[in-house]
Amino acid sequence: MNEMKWTPLGPPSPSPLPPPLSVPVAFSGDRGEFFRLVRRGAALEFVTLGFYRFWLVTDIRRHLWSNTQIDGDAAEYTGRGKELLIGFLFALAILVPIYLLYFLAGLEAERHQAFAGLPLIAFFYLLGQFAIYRARRYRLTRTVWRGVRFWMDGSGWSYAGRATLWGLLTVSTLGLALPWREAALERHKMRHSWYGDLQGRFEGQGLEFFKQGWWLWLLAPVAIVVFPLAPFFYAAFKAVQWRWWLSGIRFGGVQLESTLRRGALHGLYWKVIGWALLLSTVFGLYVFGCTMLVANVSGATFEQTIGPSGISQSIPVLILTAIGYLALALALGVVTRLYLMRDLWVRVLASTTVRNIAAAANVSSRGTPASALGEGFADGLDVAGF
Amino acid sequence: MSDHATDNDSGDGGASPPPSAVYFDGLSNRRHVVSLAFNDGLEIHEDDGTLARWSYADIRRVDSPAGILRVTCLAAPALARLEIRDAGAAEHMTSRCPKMDENLADRRGIAAIIAWSLAAAISIIAVVLWGVPLAADRLTPLVPQSLERRLGDVADSQVKTVFGGKVCDHAPGQAAFTKLVNAVRESAGLDTSVQSAVMSNPIPNAFALPGGKVYVFDGLLAKADNADEIAGILAHELGHLSHRDSTRNLIYNGGTSFLVGLLFGDVIGSGALIFASRSLLTASYSREAEQNADTFSSM
Repeated sequence: MNEMKWTPLGPPSPSPLPPPLSVPVAFSGDRGEFFRLVRRGAALEFVTLGFYRFWLVTDIRRHLWSNTQIDGDAAEYTGRGKELLIGFLFALAILVPIYLLYFLAGLEAERHQAFAGLPLIAFFYLLGQFAIYRARRYRLTRTVWRGVRFWMDGSGWSYAGRATLWGLLTVSTLGLALPWREAALERHKMRHSWYGDLQGRFEGQGLEFFKQGWWLWLLAPVAIVVFPLAPFFYAAFKAVQWRWWLSGIRFGGVQLESTLRRGALHGLYWKVIGWALLLSTVFGLYVFGCTMLVANVSGATFEQTIGPSGISQSIPVLILTAIGYLALALALGVVTRLYLMRDLWVRVLASTTVRNIAAAANVSSRGTPASALGEGFADGLDVAGF
Repeated sequence: MSDHATDNDSGDGGASPPPSAVYFDGLSNRRHVVSLAFNDGLEIHEDDGTLARWSYADIRRVDSPAGILRVTCLAAPALARLEIRDAGAAEHMTSRCPKMDENLADRRGIAAIIAWSLAAAISIIAVVLWGVPLAADRLTPLVPQSLERRLGDVADSQVKTVFGGKVCDHAPGQAAFTKLVNAVRESAGLDTSVQSAVMSNPIPNAFALPGGKVYVFDGLLAKADNADEIAGILAHELGHLSHRDSTRNLIYNGGTSFLVGLLFGDVIGSGALIFASRSLLTASYSREAEQNADTFSSM
């Protein structure tokens, strides 16, 4: 072995300047690279009939996390696709008997009154909230910055109970209690979140959120009638929510602050809607073309084609439609991930600054990685998350 | 900057370049600005002390933004990280660590995912095509009559809700209908648990519920030319009852939709896709059941 030495030149550590009071959060990822990542992911999802989703979601997070830089140092996502697959299989093993029990209980209830089984859906709401908490815990314990991981304690069921009660209150007040629900649940989640030995907390107030967004609540009925307005309202709501949420996050003495404008997300949602319309039109034309092609090959008349038991219900057409539908769904997935994950992430980060980062200068490592069971539940129950 | 990597000693220059290697020991988040020495192993020095000594074979690459090489060491704490921002030093490091990229997913890893996914998909399709019908055939005789009747009660109350629930009770018509049903039932060898009724609905249709309930819509009665046609239809529906087709269908549909849902997961919450593929798979199965019911009715 030849001896080689490599050292930075000059005095090893010049006495550091007093750290700035607030530092921006930077994102260094290349948009083209992210696009290629999700396009390739969609192609692999197509080939594997959806099983690739565990690895795709992992790759997306790895890209977003490792390009997010706070105070000059990038974060890292240490989760892996295989963990998500195992979590999904475990969740399945638990969900299957529950589904069976649900079926039998529903049967008993329906004997007494038709459709009396519907309230049992509330149970799945509870399970979904449990999944949200545990999935958050998985993601947080896979998030590393400066060699120290974030982590979470607390019970998923306790969270699910709170979320369900707050959900009932929100529904019974026609959504008016939503800001207070968000604040209470966020306080609960952040109280149980840690960065090393630095405990998190949430300082956002429900009233503050309400003051920023009450007019959206008033205008919501208008959006239901004049539905083209709905994306404007939703985008404004999300922007207000992001800003309020980020500005309330604390870890020890470290504070986050966001200056996201109310109109910052309109463009993203409209682009997704535009692409969805375009792709649906293409899909419609494709199905029409397939039906006509099969009709032509089999020599049927137009009436035979369109009728209730005509060509449009025949097996080749159904297969072609299913393939087209899968392609449509995957293309929509690419569009949504590009605009509503990557671009949204970048815009939100660009609005964010971190104050008093010095308070996180010497944090000791604590916490262990959590299992991906929650992610599996979230997948099996179709509740969303990053 | 790249020439520094091959410099044996940092002899040149008084200007202080930006620190190019940053070390986190994985125990605290303290940021160590370090110098590296490439000896038998990688030595990480801070000021005068050595913070760590990593064997080249244990060094692995981890995720980092473009332009930064970030590595960890298998023998170090799991989250220990070394970040090299100098391109020359990074290249030097890469050339010395033979197993640096062993953790990364390569083409073979993805090929394995594809192969296993296809194997899973094929086995699920095979189970749906052959396993579930077999299971439905074997399980149906095991389902007790009482449970079947219970299912029938549920379906009954739903049917009544959906179709308005008006059962025709015109006495002479009812008597004639009951006589017809009894005749068909006795010739089919079914017991008296069979119940039937005419429901007020313009749709020309008839169906059998699990547990022995047969409904005929009066739209069908209006359309029929004579009693024999009704008797034929009743015989067909009793055929379904005798073969316990609704219970079999329930097991079959439940099993199929579960397995197909498993296959597609929530690629995109693809309810429509699941529905389409299910109707594809069940079409052939229910055709067989209809044929069996027809064979039964002609006996």
